[in-house]
Amino acid sequence: MQSLEPNQLKLMRIHALIRAAILVAIALGGEAIIADNSALPFGLVFGPLLPVLVWVTIIAPGRRYRAWSYSFDADELQLARGIMTRTHSIVPIERVQHIDVAQGPIERSLGLSRLIVHTAGTAHSRVVLPGLSEARAHEMRDEIRARIVRDAE
Amino acid sequence: MSAATIADRRVHPLTIGLRVLRDLPRTVLAGPAVLAFMSDIGLWRAFALAGLIALVMLFFTWLGWSRFRYGIGERELVIESGILHRNRRTIPFESIQDVDIEQKLLERLVGLFRLRVETGGGGKDEGLIDSVRIEEAERLRGAIRAGKSKVPPATDGAPAESRVLFAMGLPRVFLAGLFNFSLVFLAGLFAFLQTFDRLLPFDIYDPARWIGLVDRALPQRFAFQAVAAVLLMALVLGVVAGMLGTLAREFGFRLTAEPGRLRRVRGMFTRSEAALSLRRLQVALLRSGPMRRAFGFSELFFQSLGAGTDGGGRQSAAPLARDAEIDPILAETGRFRRPEPGSLAVVSRWHSARNLVKLVPVATILIMGVAFRPAFYPALVLIPLLAGAAILARRHHRFGLDDGLLFVARGVWRRRLWIVPARHVQGLALVRSPLQRTLGLATLAVDTAGARATGGPAIVDLRLDSAEALARAVMRARSQVSGKKSGTER
Repeated sequence: MQSLEPNQLKLMRIHALIRAAILVAIALGGEAIIADNSALPFGLVFGPLLPVLVWVTIIAPGRRYRAWSYSFDADELQLARGIMTRTHSIVPIERVQHIDVAQGPIERSLGLSRLIVHTAGTAHSRVVLPGLSEARAHEMRDEIRARIVRDAE
Repeated sequence: MSAATIADRRVHPLTIGLRVLRDLPRTVLAGPAVLAFMSDIGLWRAFALAGLIALVMLFFTWLGWSRFRYGIGERELVIESGILHRNRRTIPFESIQDVDIEQKLLERLVGLFRLRVETGGGGKDEGLIDSVRIEEAERLRGAIRAGKSKVPPATDGAPAESRVLFAMGLPRVFLAGLFNFSLVFLAGLFAFLQTFDRLLPFDIYDPARWIGLVDRALPQRFAFQAVAAVLLMALVLGVVAGMLGTLAREFGFRLTAEPGRLRRVRGMFTRSEAALSLRRLQVALLRSGPMRRAFGFSELFFQSLGAGTDGGGRQSAAPLARDAEIDPILAETGRFRRPEPGSLAVVSRWHSARNLVKLVPVATILIMGVAFRPAFYPALVLIPLLAGAAILARRHHRFGLDDGLLFVARGVWRRRLWIVPARHVQGLALVRSPLQRTLGLATLAVDTAGARATGGPAIVDLRLDSAEALARAVMRARSQVSGKKSGTER
């Protein structure tokens, strides 16, 4: 099993910071409301929030990043993810219906791409593999495409 | 990247106008209209605001349009889209099931068409080109069909000889109707009585009343008779409704075998006909409730590729049939069969324990409910019933992999048996919740095409090593089967 690009960890940290900023903004609003309506001291919202912020920004991204791994060969794409509930997916390459290579703005600046394979299945018909370098994502896409030999059902 | 298809075509520029028009009521007009009503910004300012919003929308729609590009390669259709989030989709011709050209009202006004490309999955927007001129739509469809045509589709040429595989006479349809009167209906009846009990002249949950009824039968004969009549009526109505529904749907049920497909005809008022292409069958599902089982019957379904359209999704192949009647149908498909008796294995011993743990919240809610409304105490009977089912679940949850066929049986009350050829497995997922990880268990979810969104063939609470071994075995079985295939066909 291979791990994701190290830049994916950066991306997860950036996402975590955005999430933390939103939480801080909400907390500031809450503190302002408390300050306006009562004589309670500052920190009633921030105090409990602090450990949450530490968790979200410092601890969680690394754990999440390490929880991801994948392997890819001629026959199957495997990926493992999840901290609490672990999921290990196996997708037979010849069952892939179509393939997406997607990239958000932050991912673009970090040179990352996501590979999304779609199968004809129901519950897990869309399997997303994030944190690939652009070149690797395109290479995997081309390999999968070459492998899709539709046997008559 | 070198041999990649270049996506250099855009959809027709008029599409920008179409999209803005389509969204007009909801975005451009709704906001200012609400504002104009809510505040005193005045009609003209509201118009100016609407104009501004329209301009912004136009800009973003233009941006979206300019970023949407598609192209046709030798073997695939490529679609690029997204303003900030870029997406490049590759759809190989081989996996395209259907190409539709459609036109809605707005598009008709400007003479444009949408091209919708369907692959085997559900009815999602797998490939939508919105909108192009008819020549371009036909060019695309032609190119896709030409690219596909290396694999010739099943031709329905010569008049097919057909042979009846399974048919239901009137008595069998009536019997099926009787079995369709389920406990769900009874539960619904009691819920109804509960909701409307003020309309009834008594409290149905008051046992003293029931006992007392005998004593007071004379003065209250009217009430008692009314109650008995209501209950009896409801019961009869339930049976009759189930019968009529089944009769209307399954009347004259006939499943015939034709070369390459099964044909099903049924229905009383509207005769509906469905053709199930044998090539597209993915999974066979046998289902039976306690009543059906007691009389030796079960229901047979097939899951087929393509959701909803022409014989796709889950299709009934025999609503009420004995094993001896089901076996020939399965044999006809050439890929399904029933498991050898006694060949299936059970899951881990912890399965029952984990089921009991899952019951705790339900039991708590029930007990709290009874604490608040003591009249509900008969509902407590549910707890031992559910607990019994939780413990029995392990005995009836069985699985096996034999000669490329995966069997999964589940259910205590309503039993289901999935028969999945390994080569039709779309994906496997080993899922381990925290509790399962401490107990060394895993759930193996088997993804199949044409299934319902929930309740697919999953093997719950296997020991981790056997789950991994089974996953490997399924993958090996599929590659062996396809290896055999490529050896004979190519």
